[in-house]
Amino acid sequence: MDFHAIHDHLKAVGAPGLEGADEPRPEDKKAKDKGRFGDPFLIVDPQQLRQFLHVCRDDPKLKFEIAADLTATDPAKDDENLWINVQLLSVTHRHRLAIKCLLPKSAPSLPTTVPVYRTCQWHEREAAEMYGITFVGHPDPRNILLPDDWVGHPLRKDYEFPEEYHGISCK
Amino acid sequence: MTQPAEQHGSMTLSEGKQTPGGEREFMLDVRTSDLEVNMGPQHPATHGVMRVLIRCDGELVTGAQPHLGYLHRCAEKIGENVEWLQYLPYTDRYDYLAAMNNNLGYSMAVEKLMECEIPRRAELIRMICAELNRIGSHLIAFGTYGIDLGAFTPFLYMFREREWMMALFEKICGARLTYSYIRIGGVFNDAPPGWFSEVERFCDVFDKAWQEYYDLLAVNQIFVKRTADVGVISPEMAFDFGATGPMLRGSGIDFDLRRDMPYSLYGEAYAAGAFQVPIGKGEMGTLGDCWDRVWVRAVEMAESVKIVRWCLDQVEPGPVIADIPKTLRIPPGEAYVGIENPRGELGHYVVSDGGKIAVRCRVRGPSFVNLAVLEELLPGTFLADAVAIIGSTDIVVGETDR
Amino acid sequence: MGLLEKQFEENVLTTKVDWLLNWCRLSSVWPMTFGLACCAIEMMAVGCAHHDIDRFGAGAFRATPRQADLMIVAGTVNFKMASRIKRLYDQMPNPKYVMAMGACATGGGPYYKFGYTVVKGVDRVVPVDVYIAGCPPRPEALLEGLMKLQEKIQGSSVIRRPKRTA
Repeated sequence: MDFHAIHDHLKAVGAPGLEGADEPRPEDKKAKDKGRFGDPFLIVDPQQLRQFLHVCRDDPKLKFEIAADLTATDPAKDDENLWINVQLLSVTHRHRLAIKCLLPKSAPSLPTTVPVYRTCQWHEREAAEMYGITFVGHPDPRNILLPDDWVGHPLRKDYEFPEEYHGISCK
Repeated sequence: MTQPAEQHGSMTLSEGKQTPGGEREFMLDVRTSDLEVNMGPQHPATHGVMRVLIRCDGELVTGAQPHLGYLHRCAEKIGENVEWLQYLPYTDRYDYLAAMNNNLGYSMAVEKLMECEIPRRAELIRMICAELNRIGSHLIAFGTYGIDLGAFTPFLYMFREREWMMALFEKICGARLTYSYIRIGGVFNDAPPGWFSEVERFCDVFDKAWQEYYDLLAVNQIFVKRTADVGVISPEMAFDFGATGPMLRGSGIDFDLRRDMPYSLYGEAYAAGAFQVPIGKGEMGTLGDCWDRVWVRAVEMAESVKIVRWCLDQVEPGPVIADIPKTLRIPPGEAYVGIENPRGELGHYVVSDGGKIAVRCRVRGPSFVNLAVLEELLPGTFLADAVAIIGSTDIVVGETDR
Repeated sequence: MGLLEKQFEENVLTTKVDWLLNWCRLSSVWPMTFGLACCAIEMMAVGCAHHDIDRFGAGAFRATPRQADLMIVAGTVNFKMASRIKRLYDQMPNPKYVMAMGACATGGGPYYKFGYTVVKGVDRVVPVDVYIAGCPPRPEALLEGLMKLQEKIQGSSVIRRPKRTA
């Protein structure tokens, strides 16, 4: 199924949290340095992401068995939102879906998606340590890639590089 | 490992029963507790700097926790600070055994945003390089798996072909391990004269060598006994943990991104009957065990040779890179491209705001995702089997940690 | 060498003894398997038949630091790993040598500028004897580094008292 068909089907079954879609239209592609190119994606409410993913995984027409990726993005220093990006892959139907959730930087927390896809456990740990997002209900919210006593959230745009760590200079 | 170590039984002193040999056997008051063994980060069998904290009751593993981050090299932060083309050498270095595939994944994600047309000769050279690199990567996976299990010799033999493959790559791009050859818009430069005939000679020799390695290691009785029925991943577990690549195909799921969601010219190659996709069948034991995954990797090497031969037949003179400006400004938008790395689906998610530098350059490393399955697989096995299972996931720590 | 170390003044006999001891040490430098990243693959290539490191006597890669002479730091060092490298270095018995293989171990490599967890050179953690440039260095470069290390060992004084310069 292509993106439109997936979007329509999700609207038809009443998937919780579906807020809209964003896709490049032909007039967006008139000028190469402006507009919008690339992939279409669905916009979902982050607080209902878990239920939305349940529908994506279990609906027989969609059947997204694999959550290929769950990550976050900090679009700009002055942007007030963080993005949560989820990429889903269906082995049965051979289609993909991209989902984006907008999360305010002032309160970056959402329910965990681990009950739906076990693979998200590690992806969420990484997003949490890199961006400071809290996944409520996560079974194991420790740092995964950074040392346990690391200060700051590195992938945020306003991150300051450390001067030294445990006596080893960073300069 | 937050719970305290478990205590097991305590046998009390008993009278002592008579054994058939005429001796008396006494049972002593024995109280055991679980032992926490730290495997890594420096360990000959963890395939790099990875640490697995194993809790075991004697030889039986009761809990396992992988610890990562010992090779975290901030690839994603670097992607947000250097220009598009400057990021290419960093892509080589996460899965350093299959650097061509990493370059290909990143270039394809950026090209999706640029919507540029890649010349056919460039696509064919890309496919040849990617498949030769797949052969090289699987040779190391197979060889080091043999070393983990105690078979040191096949690794030396496999490095024979791998050295030849690296010499071929050195002729085309100058580097042995981290190539930065497949660039945005095509490939860096054209193949030197005589390169294609040398690749064909490599294919002829590799067909015979592959059979030699298969007979030496894959169907070796000891290897089979150590890997069959060990580390069984069911299809549901594979889906739940997001496993892709040989981890998924070893469990019997018929899915390969090159055939089912084709990119580059793989769709055309498959339609022409150039290659098949090996699926685990549970030949030597249970479906989804370590042997199946190793078998999938071994047969994939032979299939890659067929793809290379098909590409060699199709090659014609032409340009090798699209006409793109020297300073790249990628149109605004976001794109995700997943390709079939030797380890699974390598995904690149790039976000651009129209400038010279990416806003986000996310790498979905298959080894990172495949490794999570260890927490579920290792408990209940013996410590010796734990090594076999870790080896069969074929992880590269540069990709788990990025 | 314990009680005999650096006790004797330099003369014909002690020079010859020192030459013999150094020759024994440089002909069997046993490395520790310490491949961290991509350079580890080139280290494996050096250990294989094509660029044989065994002809230098250094082919016996030991997994444990207690039996190794040489720690080839092959790959990027980051903060999480730095404490382990120090611990492994401390576990090696004397005389021990460290070879920083590759750009990352020498000075941070390509991750110098924006790598927040990368240690900019392993010599901030352990003392290094030989630096090998390259990303990754060719196996021949690693062998040249090994030969430079052998030259360094050849020049060291074991039982001779080092000359005072003042």
